[in-house]
Formats: sequence, structure tokens, C-alpha cells
Amino acid sequence: MDKIVWLDDPEIYRVNQIDSHSDHVCYASKEESERGKSTLSQSLNGSWSFLYSVNAKVRPKEFYKADFDSTGFDEIQVPKHIELAGYDRVHYINTMYPWEGSEYRRPPYTLGKDTLEKGMFSEAEYNPVGSYIKKFDLDQGMIGKDISIKFHGVEQAFYVWLNGVFIGYGEDSFTPSEFDLSPEIQEKENILCVEVHKRSTAAFLEDQDFFRFFGIFRDVELVARPKLHVEDLWIQPVLTNLESGRINLRVQTKSKVNKGKICCIIKNQDNHIIHESEEVFSETIQFSEVIVSNPNLWDNTNPYLYWLELLVKTDTEEVVEYIKYPFGFRKIEIHQGVMQLNGKRLVINGVNRHEWSPYNGRVIGEAENRGDIETCKKNHINSVRTSHYPFQIPWYYLCDQNGIYVMAETNMESHGSWQKMDQIEPSYNVPGDIPQWRGAVLDRARTQYYLLRNHTSILFWSLGNESYAGENIRLMHEFYKNADEERLVHYEGNFHNPDYEESISDIKSRMYAKPLEIKEYLDNEPKKPFILCEYMHNMGNSLGGMKAYMELLDRYEMYQGGYIWDFIDQALYVYDEISKKQVLRYGGDFGDRPSDYEFSGNGILFANREEKPAMQEVRYYYGKYK
Amino acid sequence: MENINKELSIIYGDVTLGLKGDDFHYIFSYAKGGLESLKKQGQEWLYRIPMPTFWRATTDNDRGNGFSYASAMWMGADMFLRCISKYVKINGEEIPFPAAPENNKYSNNENAKEVEITFIYETSTVPKTSVSVSYTVLPSGEIKIHMHYKGKDNLPGLPVLGMRFVLMEKADGYKYEGLSGETYPDRMEGGAYGVHQVEGLPVTPYLVPQECGMHMKTRWAEVERNNQSIKFRGKDEFAFSCLPYTSQELENATHMEELPLPRRTVMVIANKVRGVGGIDSWGSKPGKDYEIPGDQDYTLQFSVK
Repeated sequence: MDKIVWLDDPEIYRVNQIDSHSDHVCYASKEESERGKSTLSQSLNGSWSFLYSVNAKVRPKEFYKADFDSTGFDEIQVPKHIELAGYDRVHYINTMYPWEGSEYRRPPYTLGKDTLEKGMFSEAEYNPVGSYIKKFDLDQGMIGKDISIKFHGVEQAFYVWLNGVFIGYGEDSFTPSEFDLSPEIQEKENILCVEVHKRSTAAFLEDQDFFRFFGIFRDVELVARPKLHVEDLWIQPVLTNLESGRINLRVQTKSKVNKGKICCIIKNQDNHIIHESEEVFSETIQFSEVIVSNPNLWDNTNPYLYWLELLVKTDTEEVVEYIKYPFGFRKIEIHQGVMQLNGKRLVINGVNRHEWSPYNGRVIGEAENRGDIETCKKNHINSVRTSHYPFQIPWYYLCDQNGIYVMAETNMESHGSWQKMDQIEPSYNVPGDIPQWRGAVLDRARTQYYLLRNHTSILFWSLGNESYAGENIRLMHEFYKNADEERLVHYEGNFHNPDYEESISDIKSRMYAKPLEIKEYLDNEPKKPFILCEYMHNMGNSLGGMKAYMELLDRYEMYQGGYIWDFIDQALYVYDEISKKQVLRYGGDFGDRPSDYEFSGNGILFANREEKPAMQEVRYYYGKYK
Repeated sequence: MENINKELSIIYGDVTLGLKGDDFHYIFSYAKGGLESLKKQGQEWLYRIPMPTFWRATTDNDRGNGFSYASAMWMGADMFLRCISKYVKINGEEIPFPAAPENNKYSNNENAKEVEITFIYETSTVPKTSVSVSYTVLPSGEIKIHMHYKGKDNLPGLPVLGMRFVLMEKADGYKYEGLSGETYPDRMEGGAYGVHQVEGLPVTPYLVPQECGMHMKTRWAEVERNNQSIKFRGKDEFAFSCLPYTSQELENATHMEELPLPRRTVMVIANKVRGVGGIDSWGSKPGKDYEIPGDQDYTLQFSVK
């Protein structure tokens, strides 16, 4: 079967991918960790060969073959959005699907159809393809070890080959896709080929209100597994009560041999060892419970972190892997209808954030992440909703360190499938109840969960944004609830389908509800604490009337704050021939139609990260209610 | 201390009324219907006559909640106002209107302690309403301005109500006593009260240029150019914005780079400013307290020196 039809099939969303696991970094030694550069990882970022095709039919189908002549290919940077490298076109659109007015599409298996319609994406006249080739040799530290490749973000569907052999396929654009390269990898002259398709059935699930890009837009790295290797770790610091904590630690390994040991050291923030133990290396290692009396608690004002260190050794005491991971003690729970953190009522002074740079779109780096955290701290923003997809991994470490409460949102929004012309019209809603869409959305939840579950900063798992509600989202809810007893689950979209009021979301969440509507809920025997996952729509000159929301915090214990929409304007710098200046452009300025124009600019920061004047109001109120 | 015996020189022109003092010279134009010249130490400050203003550029929220449509006639009224009558008072007494030939009775040596000239404007709205603007000039050079808007049933809400001064050149900056930052009636709790200095005439670079730069709860504002200044002082607290553009220029641009080269100063002294809103950008209005109903009377009093 031609693999290209996977684009059309919602049931095929990951092929040959390694199961999602924790995001710890492995070093070959403690010294490496202190230097901050692991020899067990090799970046493949940089210049790649590249060819753009307008659709799958005209793409170079055999470009992955070892003897393929790639003369005529261009060069592109990885990571980068293909549209910002000068191909295809920049397009901003909010809720409408990006093919509105150009293609008639209905999600497979909706409207009572029980057969798959082939060719919806694979045979489309317009569905661009990026064919990427990267030649590489292995770095010294990687040689002789099992190697996998991690794509941290590829939008939106992609196929991978190494040295002419098919490796795998992936769809979820905003979580890592990892493939084992071990059987095919060579020390030198490897040829890695990646074919990225702009749209697949994943497009129905990735209808976020943002610029619609494609390409390899986050890091690509090779990861080496030493002969003894920790694949997954699960640190569960649990507060028995506020005076006593325990740490459950479980490690999954992935190794050629299973002879060795693993040493666990726990240090406090002052670098004092508070626990040390050793276990025999095996496939699953359950450490004995560690009791910590009077643990320092983690919160926004005092993000106290402990550090776990794992040393993987052979029987001859040779250290082959070293891991260091921060964690904190905190308890998030609902007590008598009120969300509490460490026994105190939690107030969310939050903001929704898209990853954004006016130069590179969603390709951002350390500077943007750190700057954004600083902006949060300076303005008393204590919580960030990762709207509406998982962020780059470093973000969560920064939130752990800085006490930013994270609402970790699954990569899902299917807005265009249920809201049309401002009306609730879910006739072809996905994922809905449709069995063929279940796997894909549960996979998104699972991937995010296993990747990020060790981050103390994450208080909430969010099922996605504006995707209506049905059985499949209920199952996502169930997955998170079963997997994680220590966090709350959030979803707003059941507001539009009250059948799921009880069965989805621990919290009552609304967006843009007026203060009066919130009062009405809270005055009528509310069952769940209330938050606004989006409020204070800060488009242009806005953010008036914040007072009415903040005062609800005084009046109702169960009103627990909200997330401003949103953090930063999405606009792009373009050189303007007429004014001879770099200027900011928004939807519609790129000839993109239909568009939602300046609706992309709702930040409390301008696109260049300067604060909008409204920030002084945010700083005032979030400071007052912190 | 002002010399209390000092008087204004009055020049009863055929088309204008000139008023002079030690270091100032003002000319009110009967033909243009307002203050045509405001000279201090020989330097002209005005580009065109100050006029009542009814329009601030609409915001994204105004457009989203239909306010722009509902109140569009105020933009026309703001641009095309008509002066329908005027009168002059000398030392508090109305005199026969001093146009030709009535003014032939005067000399080149006329003086008074106080001169008041009032212009009545009629709006192009449906229904029409009227706005009066009185200028009372004192020998010190202080101009006291009293503006009164007469509310009318069935007039839509206003985005702003005040006086607009378009100054000849782009100012170097301004100083004011009031709230820090850009504030609106529904977004000013975070503003810190004090004296604030602003360099240049910053236009807040919203993606789509729109109303910006308002300062609420102001006692006075001083516009600076070439080490000289003119100072606006409110009888009560007022709001102002000091930008290089008129509301129409802002309204017209879809990107910052489409705004004209900044070359003048547009000083809006406002009695009322509509809130910006913020619940959403697709329907919600700012709260009732932050709207300006068109059917009520409003008075704005401030001085210029």
C-alpha cells in the first residue's frame, strides 16, 4: 500500500514511533551535566537540502532512495517554517479551516459515512510538500550506541527514511516524535530524508487560532542510548500532609544488557544530600519510598525545588549515564469546592500564551522563553495556559524554576468542525463520538502526559481547546484522571454540550463569560470551582473592565481567576518597500484569503515583546490579588 | 503677581477680533468661527482653529460590538462642524456684534479687563444638536474655555467629547499631572498619579492604528516645543491625548506605516471618553458607566496659557 494515503486516514497518526516518555536529558557523566552539553545527544539543526512541491502528486517520490540525485534541491534552515523560508504562502485564519473557500472537505467518518474517502489530502491539488534531506556523520560520543531520532515539532504530517529505509510516520505537530534508527544507522554518511506534508486529517484536530504553517519547526536531535539507559522516569513527590512528604520514584529502562546498578541521590535546594540509595538495574525499577519530613513547599512565591540525580553504573562502577531532574512538593486539590494549592485557596492570575516571534513565527528559542517568564514575574502573572498545544520542553523547566503554574494543554482544537458563522453547528464535529478519531486524540493526551508528567509546575492537564464535547474527549478526560491522581483536569468545550457537564473537567471553565454570568453560576449551588480559561480579550486597545472580574475574587471563594487572552500579538516583520522599514504585518497582508486579519493581535505584549499600555492594569490587579 | 491694573488691547477687525498683551497675541476669526491665532512671544501655536471633537478613532472592540456603525454620524460631525452664531462680551457685558460697520466706532486704542467671545456650533447629526464654546481672555494671557454640549434625544453614544487643538508643529514632548501610562475610564486603576514627562508624541503601535494615548484624571498638561510651552489646566480633572494625528488619520490607517509623516500636534482635551471595553472583541460593550450617552448635557471647562 502506498503510504501516502495515511494522510487521508485519521486512524493512522503514528507509525514506528517510540512510546512517549519523560523529557529528562541523559548525560554520559556528571561532569557533562555540569558543562551542560551531553555527548549522548547530537543536534541535526542547521542547513538541510530541501525541495518544495505544491502537492503530493508532483513531489519527488523517490527522494529517500540512497542513489537519488538531489541536484537542484535548495537549502533550508532547520528549524524553520517553510512559509517563512520563502515558499508557499503565509496564512492566518482563526476558526475556519484553512481550506475554506478553496476545498470542500468533511472529516472522514462524519455525517454517517462509514468508509474512508481516499485522496482528500494525498491527491489534493493544493497540499504542499517539503522534501528534506540531511547528510550526517555520528559524533564521537554517539558511535556504538543505539540511536534514536527526536523531532521536537514537525507540522503537520511527516515520513522519515534513513539510508533508503522507511523509518516511520508522525502527525501530532507539537510533541516530540521519536524513532529508533539503530538498525540502519552508520557511523558516517547517513542520509536522512523527511517528507513533510502541510495537511492531513490531523488538520481537523489542529485548527488553532494562529498562523497556519508547516515544516520542521522545532529542534531535531539524535539521542544515543548507552548500554544501560533510563528511558523513562516518574518522580512522584506526594504531600501526605503539609508537614510530611514522600517520593515515589519509578524508572523504566531500555538497554541491551541489564547488568548494573542505579544510584539515586536527592538533594535539597542548598545542594545538601537528603537521601541516597542504590538499586539493581532492571527493566522496571521501583525505588523504595523516600520520606521527607517538613518538606519545603513549591509555589509561585517560593518555587522551592529538590533535585533528583540518577547515576547509572555498570557492575564495575563505570558511570554510563547521568540524569538530573528538579521536582517540588506541592498539592493541588479541590477542597469543599475550592481549588487549593498547598492547603490555600488558589487564585489564577493567568495568561494564555502562543509561542511566537515576529521574525520566526513559532520558532522561538531560549531568549524568548526566558524573556516571557521575566515578563510574567514582573507583572505578577502566576499561571500560563499553553494555548493550545504543548510548548517546547525548556519552557516547563523554566516554569518549575520560577513558580509559574502551568495549564498544560493537549494539542487539539477542532473549532471549524462545530462553530460556523458564530453558531454552534456540530454536524460534522470531530473528534466527537467517532471511533475512528478516538486513537488520534487519546494518543495526543498520552504523549503529552508521559512527556511532561514530572514537571511540578503543571497543575492542570487541559484536554485541548474549543473542540466541542463527545465520547472521545470524555475518554481523554478519563485517561488523564486514571493516569494522574495528583493533578486536575480542565476542559471548557463541554459548555457547549451540557451532556458532558458532569463527566468532563474537574473545574467549571468558561471563556469570555460576563461578570454577571459568572455570578449567576456561583449564586446557584455551584458544583465545581470556576475559572475563565480565556478572558479580557486584549485585541488592540482593550482590557477595559478588568475590575469587575477581579472583584469576583473577593466575593466568591469558588471564583478562582482566569487566563487573559493572550500573551503576545501574532504578527510578522516584513520589509516594506514603500516606507523602507521593517513593519509588522498580520492576517490578510500576505494575500491570504479568507483571513481573520488583525484578530491575530490580542497580546498584552506587542509582537516585538514590548509591553502594551494595558500591562500596567494587569500588573496592578494581578499584584493586588496575588 | 499679575498687575491687576493691566488691560488687554483689543483690535476690532472687520473679520476678526484681535487681543494683545505683553507677550501674547490672539486672533479670533468670525469667518472661521474660532480661535485662529495663538501667539506667545511671537511664536504661532495653532495650525487651524480649535473645534469641539466628537470622535476618537474606533478600537477593535468598538468595531466588534457595532459601536462604529451605531455612532458613525459622530465622525462626520467631528470633521464637518458648522458655526452658526457668535457673540462678544467686554468686561462681562455683551456688546453689539463688532463686525463692520458696527466696529467703525472703535479706535486703535481699545482696552478691557476681560473679553469673552462665544461661538455656537451646530452638528451634522440627525437630529442636530449644538455646542457652544466660550473663550474668556484675561490680561495675563490666560484663556478660559467653557464648552457646553447640549444633549438631544435619539443621538447615538459618543466615543469622546472635548476640544481638539491642532498645533502648527510636532511637539518635542509633553508633561502632565495625572495618571501614568495610557488610561481609559475602564482601565485606569493601574495608573500611578503624579507628574509625568513624555518624550516626543508616541503613538501606541497597535497592529491596526486606533484610538490611543489617552490620559485620564489629569489636572494639567503642558505641550513643549523649542523650549516654549502651552499649558492646559482643567477646572476639574480632564482627559487628554497628545498625538501627531487626528482621529480620522488614525481611523484611516490599517497599519502603522500608513500613517502620514508626523508633522503636527493634535491635542484633545476631553470631558468624556468612552471606555475601551475588554470582555471580548466581538460584541460586548464597555459597561454603562463607561459610555457617553448622546442625550445628556456635558460641560468642559479648562484654561490655556
